[in-house]
Amino acid sequence: MIGFVRGFVLFIGAMFLQWWWNTHLAYWGAAPQFLLVLTILIAARRGPVLGMLAGFAWGLYLDVARAELFGASALILTLAAYFVGVARRQIDLRAAGPLAATTFLFTWAAFIGLGLLGLVFTKSFEWGGFIAVALTPFLNVAAVTTAAIVWDVREDR
Amino acid sequence: MQRETRIANIILGALSALSLLFLSLPLSTPVRSFKAGAGYLFDPLAYHGEAGYRRIAGSPERIRQLLQADIENESLRAELRRGEWLSTTVSSLSLENERLRKALVLKAPSGRFPAWAHVMERDPVHWYRSLVVDAGADRGISLNDPVLGPRDGRLVAVGRVVDVRPNTSTVLLLTDELSAAAAYLSSGTLEGLVQGQDGPRLRMNYLNAEAQLSDGDSVYTSPTSATFPPDVLIGRVARVNPRDPFLTFQSVEITPAADASSLQELMILRARPVEGEGKPPAYVPAYAPPSAPAAPVATSTAPAIAISTAAAPRPRRRAAAAPASAPKPEPVMADDAFEINPEDPR
Repeated sequence: MIGFVRGFVLFIGAMFLQWWWNTHLAYWGAAPQFLLVLTILIAARRGPVLGMLAGFAWGLYLDVARAELFGASALILTLAAYFVGVARRQIDLRAAGPLAATTFLFTWAAFIGLGLLGLVFTKSFEWGGFIAVALTPFLNVAAVTTAAIVWDVREDR
Repeated sequence: MQRETRIANIILGALSALSLLFLSLPLSTPVRSFKAGAGYLFDPLAYHGEAGYRRIAGSPERIRQLLQADIENESLRAELRRGEWLSTTVSSLSLENERLRKALVLKAPSGRFPAWAHVMERDPVHWYRSLVVDAGADRGISLNDPVLGPRDGRLVAVGRVVDVRPNTSTVLLLTDELSAAAAYLSSGTLEGLVQGQDGPRLRMNYLNAEAQLSDGDSVYTSPTSATFPPDVLIGRVARVNPRDPFLTFQSVEITPAADASSLQELMILRARPVEGEGKPPAYVPAYAPPSAPAAPVATSTAPAIAISTAAAPRPRRRAAAAPASAPKPEPVMADDAFEINPEDPR
């Protein structure tokens, strides 16, 4: 029960943090993608099933705020969780370096995937801008590293 | 592991299919309904989050306003304290003004117009006889105008004008042997004639021979006085003279209420004002007014002219106390024992 409540709070808190940062702290479109980061982290630590469920729900939350491409973020986060779950069998994602590198790569992959989905379904490549594409992976790496530290500290207790 | 992979694949397929369905049929009713439902679930997060953020973000401004309000509050409190002090001062001045008005701005007897004048000169040889004041014909002073003086917050009889010059006048004091004024005693309301003796005391003659006289009685001007307004304090009985078997009346010695040696300002009750003077002039004398208002003393049966001779109740005359056979002062003696002004109809 406590785990469920904690998970619910994390689920809501992550969405709130994403909204708040994107609304009030984003500069030139660059902001950490907390929901992607947490999806990767959950998939790396808890497996792809939980990661995909959380990623799909968070993706719907991101898609609700978007006028077009409803379901695109849900699909990308779901795929991200799945592939991280697959990758964790080959790579030790408990280590900070591989986790940061995976997050870095999946951030760009998410940008490209979102663009391609736009190209397929709306005939236009969804491009977040050079600054956002250039800075967001680093912000995501910082975010996933911080989140992993907090996760590990809480698990060690 | 195999089971987890299988479940993951199934979930991946299901969620991917669902996502692709959303992407493929964005305008279909089920997808739009699902999106509306998702929006119904997730929108409160942003809505209430923004409201809470604004509230939190506005806190510094509200704190700043609170601090500013506190500073303004302190400033206003200080201003209020100054205002209270000012109010207290105004109240005190108002009371003082009321006292001064009662003491100085007197309601003159009907037909009289008061004018204050300074004592300008005294004759050392005739200390108890006369003095000169700095008001003359220029201020409407005329012969035989009654002169009053302040004493303990009330006006008392001093004398009358016997010489008028352009800017000065000579006042004949009651203590002059040529002065006389009809008066009555407060205790018995016995009428008599107060006369000067060229000394510090007066003498009241023609009192009823059968009356019981006592020291300390107050002596007031009589309504029958042709010069003074009625009920003006003249003095107090200092001594009752022994009866003279050869006289049909009694006499008493009176200590004048007005101390001739200490008079600085005098009020002259004029018969008419100077031209252009519609109401009694305001005048602030040099003497310090008493702390208590110049109201009639409650224990005294005598009224005080300091307030209003017109409104003050007259002491009841004990007519029965004076037998019918008692000698009564002649009306011609009611005021003056001599005639100075040849134009005076008396």
